[in-house]
Amino acid sequence: MSSINGRVRWAGLGACLLVLVVFAQLNYIQVFHAKALTDNPLNTSHVIQQYSLPRGAIISADGVTLAESVASHDQYKYQRVYPTGALFGQITGYYSLTYGTDGLEREYNSLLSKSTSNVRLPGSLHQLEKLLTTEPGPDNLHITVLASLQKLAEQQLAGRYGAVVAIAPKTGAVLAMYSNPSYNPTPLASPNPSVEQSAWKTLLANPGTPLAAAAYRQRFFPGSTFKVVTASAVYDHNPSLAKKDFPVISAFPLPDTSNQLMHNFANSACGGQMLELFTVSCDTGFAQLGLGVGGKALADEAKAFGWDQPVPLDLPGVAQSYFPPASSFNRNAGALAKSAIGQESVQAVPLTMALDAAAIADKGVIMTPHLMADVTGSQGQVVKTYKPKPWLRATSPATAAKVTTLMLSVVNSPNGTGVAARIPGIEVAGKTGTAQTGGSSIETWFVAFAPAQNPKIAVCVLVENQPLGVQYQGGTIAAPIAKAIIQSYLQGRAS
Amino acid sequence: MSVNALSAPVNVANATSRRLRTLRRLPQRRTELGMLVLVYVLVLGLYLLAALGATGAAPKATIVFAALSALLLATAHLAVRRLAPDASPIFLPLAALLNGIGYVFISHIDPAEGSNQAIWTAVGTLCLVATLALFPRAIDFERYRYLIALAGIALLLLPLAPKIGEDINGARLWVRAGPLTFQPEEFAKIGFAIFFASVLAERADLLATGTRRIGRWLVLEPRYLAPLVGAWGFSLLILLAENNLGASFLFFTLLVSMLWIATGRIAYLGLGGGLFAGAAVFALEIVHHAQTRVQAWLHPWAHFATSGYQIIEGWFGLAGGGMWGLGPGQGNPQVIPEASTDFMFASIGEEIGLVGLVAILCVYLLLMGSGLRAAVRSERSFDKLLATGLSLLLVVQVFVVGGGITRVIPVTGITLPFVSYGGSSLVSSYLLLAILVRISNDNANQIATSARGSIEPATRPGSRTSEDRGARQPAGDLSTTGGLAL
Repeated sequence: MSSINGRVRWAGLGACLLVLVVFAQLNYIQVFHAKALTDNPLNTSHVIQQYSLPRGAIISADGVTLAESVASHDQYKYQRVYPTGALFGQITGYYSLTYGTDGLEREYNSLLSKSTSNVRLPGSLHQLEKLLTTEPGPDNLHITVLASLQKLAEQQLAGRYGAVVAIAPKTGAVLAMYSNPSYNPTPLASPNPSVEQSAWKTLLANPGTPLAAAAYRQRFFPGSTFKVVTASAVYDHNPSLAKKDFPVISAFPLPDTSNQLMHNFANSACGGQMLELFTVSCDTGFAQLGLGVGGKALADEAKAFGWDQPVPLDLPGVAQSYFPPASSFNRNAGALAKSAIGQESVQAVPLTMALDAAAIADKGVIMTPHLMADVTGSQGQVVKTYKPKPWLRATSPATAAKVTTLMLSVVNSPNGTGVAARIPGIEVAGKTGTAQTGGSSIETWFVAFAPAQNPKIAVCVLVENQPLGVQYQGGTIAAPIAKAIIQSYLQGRAS
Repeated sequence: MSVNALSAPVNVANATSRRLRTLRRLPQRRTELGMLVLVYVLVLGLYLLAALGATGAAPKATIVFAALSALLLATAHLAVRRLAPDASPIFLPLAALLNGIGYVFISHIDPAEGSNQAIWTAVGTLCLVATLALFPRAIDFERYRYLIALAGIALLLLPLAPKIGEDINGARLWVRAGPLTFQPEEFAKIGFAIFFASVLAERADLLATGTRRIGRWLVLEPRYLAPLVGAWGFSLLILLAENNLGASFLFFTLLVSMLWIATGRIAYLGLGGGLFAGAAVFALEIVHHAQTRVQAWLHPWAHFATSGYQIIEGWFGLAGGGMWGLGPGQGNPQVIPEASTDFMFASIGEEIGLVGLVAILCVYLLLMGSGLRAAVRSERSFDKLLATGLSLLLVVQVFVVGGGITRVIPVTGITLPFVSYGGSSLVSSYLLLAILVRISNDNANQIATSARGSIEPATRPGSRTSEDRGARQPAGDLSTTGGLAL
C-alpha cells in the first residue's frame, strides 16, 4: 500500500495530466487548426481589425462630408458615421460589422482603408512637423455628386417613391442620384450588434426596398421615354420613315395578334410625321415606326444606348436595362410594336435613361458614368484624379442633333407633353413617359438635358405609384422635378 | 496565540527559534522579495505594452498603477515576513504574477471592471494578511471545522434565498448585497476542503477498512462516513438546485481525491467516478441549463447563433492568437461573451498566444507543486490533506476552465483563480493562498522544532540541511502523525 505522500504525488501527476490534455487541445486550436478557424466565414476578427482602423472620408463635390470615421470610446477605436444620413445612403452604402459593405464603401474599400499615397517631401518646417507628428492616414474620396442637388432631388420627390439621376453629359460625372425610399447607413455601422440587426430588419421589411436603390438597382417600364431610342433607330436605320406621314388614329390594330388594339393615351387621336408624333408622344404612330424600322434595328439601337449590358458605374450591383432580343419579335410583330413605345417586356433602370438623354446631349457619345472625382491623401494632396472616358457611341452626331430637335419640340411646342419643364432663358430638351404597370398605378418619367446647344446636365426623373388619371403623367408629375433640378444646377438656385 | 496540545518545552523552543529568526536574514523571504521585484517588473511591462498596443500611449494612471501595485506587494511581503517567516517563498510571487496578468487583461477588456478588480486585489491582500494573523498555526483551521462546514453550507444556501439570490446566465450562484454581488460557492469550497481534511485526518483508518461484515463482504461502518457523505450530498443537492455544474464537479473531485489520498482505497475513485457519472446523466435529464451546455459542447458549429457562439468565438480568438499571440492590447476580446470571467482564457490566448497560455498553465502547476510540496513535508495529516485538497482545487479549476474552452469538457461557469474578474474569486483565491502559506510555514517550524529538540540542536533552523533532513523523514502513517498533531 502506497504511503499518503505517494498518493499526494500521484494526485499531483494526475492534475498535471489534466493540464496536459488542455495543452494538447490548445496546440490543436492555436496552431494546427488555426488557419481553418481564421478562414472560417463565421470569423469576423479581420472585419473587427478593419473596423478598428481609421477610414477615409467620402466628400461631396460641394464639400459636404458624407461618411467619416470618428474616434469612439467603445471596443473599436473608430465609429463610421454618415452625417447626411439617408440623403446619400444609397451612394455611400454602409460599412457594417455584421452585414459587410455596400455602395462606395465597398467599391473603394481598399482606397478608404489604407493610404495609397506616397509621402511628399516636406517643403517647409511646418510640413516637416506635420509629417513627423501625424500618422499617414487613409485617403479621402471626393465624389462628383453635389449635396445641394441631391437635397433638391429629395425635396422634389417629397416622399413619393421614385428616383432622380443627373449626369454631366460631357464627362459622365454623376451630379445627383437619389431615390426614395433611401436609408440611413449609420445604424448599420453601429458597434452595437442589436442596433445593427434591428436597423437591418427594418430595412428588409420596408416594401420600398431601400437597399435596392431605385435609381440604379431597379428596373421599371420606361413607357414613352423609350421613344428617344426608337427615334434614333429610325434616323440611324431607316431615315425615310421620319418623313412619312402616319394617319391620325386613336387606336392601332396590333399585327400577329387576334385583333388586339393599341390605344393612345386617353384615347386621343394622333398622327403625322415623326416630329409631330414625338412632340405629342403618339403611341400608335411610334408603334408603326417600330414596325417599320424592324426588331433587329431596334434591339441594336437599344444595345448601343447601353441596354442589355452592365453599366460601368463605380458602384456595386448596378442593374442592366432590358430590351428583348430581336429573335423574340419573329412572328410576334405585336410585341415589337409595343416594345417600340417602351411597353411589353422592356425595362429601364433610371440610370440608363439618364445616360440615354446624355447620349443625345453629347453628340451621340455616352461617357462612362462615374462618382469618383478625385482622391486626396491625408496631407490634403491630390493623389488621383478621375479622367473622363467614353463608354459607348450610341449614335451619330447627326442623329443626336435630329433627336435633340424632337426633344426641344416636346418642351417648347404649345402641344408638347413636356411644357412643364420650360425654363425662361434656358433651352430644355426632354421627353415624357407614362407607363401603366399593369395594376391601377402608373410610373411617370421625364428625361431631359439642357442647355440644348451646350448641354451641361442630363436628367432622368421617375415617380412611381401614381394613380391613374389624365392629370398624372410624366409631363405633369416628373417634368417639374426635372425642371427644378436643371434650373438649380444651371442658374444656381432652387425653384 | 495557539497553545493547543503542544507541550511547554516545545513552546519555549519555538519562542527561542523565533527570536533567532528575527536576528538572521531570513533567506526564504529574501528570495521572495527578489521574485516579487521580478514579478513587479513583468506585470508593469505587460501593463504598458497592453496600453501601448491598444491606444498607442501610456495611460495616465501608470504612476498610480505602479505605486499601488508596489504598495500591495510590499504589504503582502511584509505581512508574510512577520506572520509566516519560514513559508516557502514561491507562493506569493506566483499568485501576484497571475493576479497582475489578470488585472492587465481585465482592465483592457473593461476599464470599469479593471478598477473593481484593483479594489478586490487590495481586499484579497488584506484577507491574506488577516488570515495569516488570525490563524497562527494550520491546526487552528481545524478547530472550527464544524463551524466552517456549517458556514460552507450556509454560503451554498445563500443564493437560493429569495431576496438576495440572483440568477445570472441560467445559474443561480450569486448573492446580491447592495451594489455588490458575490459567489458564495467560491468560499464554500475552501470551507469544505477544511472540513473534509479534518474529518478524513481523524477517521482515515476507519474509512480505509471495512469493519462490519455483510455476508462475505466487509463493509464500512456507515456512521464513520456519515458526516462526509452528508456534507457532500447536501452540497451536491444545492449545486444542482442552483445549476452550478462546474462547482459540483469541483466538489466531487475534491472529496473523491481527498478520500483516496487519506485512505489509499482506489475503490473511492471508482465509486466517486461512478456517482459523478450518474449525477451527470441525471442532471442532463432534468436540468435544461445542462442540456444547453452539453449541446454547445458536442455540436458548437450547429448552434453557432445560440449556445455554441461563445465557444466558437473563443476558438476564433485562440486561433487568431496562434503560437505567439497578436500582442498585448492588440486583440479583440470584446467579441467573446464573458471575456473577463469564464472566457478569460480565450481572451488571453488571443493576445499572448499559445506560448503565453502555456506559461500561465506552468505558473498554476508550479503553484500546485509548491502546495503539494508543503503537503508532503507536513507531519500532520490534516495539514497534508488540506494542502493537497487546496492545491488540487487550483489546478482542477484551471482544467475545468481550460477544458471548457477547448471543448475537452462542457463549459461551466468557473473562474480562473487569481486571473478572472470577480471579487469572490479573487478574495477566495487569496484565502486559499493564505492557508497554503500557513501550512508551508508550519512545516518549517515543525522541522525546526524536531531538529532542535531531538537530532541536531546546533543546526540553524530553516537551513538547507535541516530542511532536507525533514523532507527525507518518512511522512509516517496517518495514525502516528495524527497522534502527534492532536
